[in-house]
Amino acid sequence: MILLVALSSDGSSHQWTPTYPTLKNSYVSGVFSTRMELFNARTDVSYYQVGVFDVDFKAVPFAAAEKILKIEHLGRRSIDIFIRNKDAERAVYICSKSKLLSKGSATTSISSRICSKIK
Amino acid sequence: MFKKIVLASAILCGGVIAQEVPITGSVESKCIVQTDTIGIYGNPTPSSLTTMSTGGGVTPIVRFDVIQASFYKARITTPNGFSESPALSDVVTWTGDVAVGEVSDANMSAYSTSKVVYDNTTEIDLTIAGSTWFNITSTADYGYDTALPAGTYRAVVSAECIAL
Repeated sequence: MILLVALSSDGSSHQWTPTYPTLKNSYVSGVFSTRMELFNARTDVSYYQVGVFDVDFKAVPFAAAEKILKIEHLGRRSIDIFIRNKDAERAVYICSKSKLLSKGSATTSISSRICSKIK
Repeated sequence: MFKKIVLASAILCGGVIAQEVPITGSVESKCIVQTDTIGIYGNPTPSSLTTMSTGGGVTPIVRFDVIQASFYKARITTPNGFSESPALSDVVTWTGDVAVGEVSDANMSAYSTSKVVYDNTTEIDLTIAGSTWFNITSTADYGYDTALPAGTYRAVVSAECIAL
């Protein structure tokens, strides 16, 4: 099982951790924050968009240094997510989604999104 | 006498000196979305595009790896529009399907019956740890046997892993 998971990380995959982030008081009054980590093993993707959503997957306002991250293949990035106290109650998911570049080829593409759940 | 006291003290002290060796580890549920095969549309008839091999296409395959069971659900959405195409003046009818392919645990075949399908989206609770390959088919039929205009066609399959 461990070998299987280890091997899977070498392909074109996308990881977003932790699975269950917790919001903590940030250095800004009235704002919670949490740190997420993104690992990009997709050879065909260099950009990921971060989003915060409620239980119905409606967007919840948040702040981050970058909302679209450029991450090279096999790159790893940490990002701090800031959510106002008044929005934190309805924030349920923090997601990362691959952004696909427009290319001139007759193919389907696979967009991956992984959502962590705030505990 | 003094030497004996010092020696006894040293022995006693030696007996209680201990090194604490911390062992740390982290266990975390994690989902990995793996793009196994990028699909290609075949053009079996002038009015249709399909990823099915019978139509000359290549089926997109996506793999979900979960380290712990029942912490994630997979949500796969087949296309209902082109992300890139020539100008189309007629209606495109979309059909799609998500099928369980290879599995690392035989019990995962139950995903075929436990999946929930709505609109063009399929949701599967990943209740077994391991890897599951999902074969995704997408077909686009243009108008009523109307020939598709020449050009490049591209569509996007969305594969999501959502913490429960």
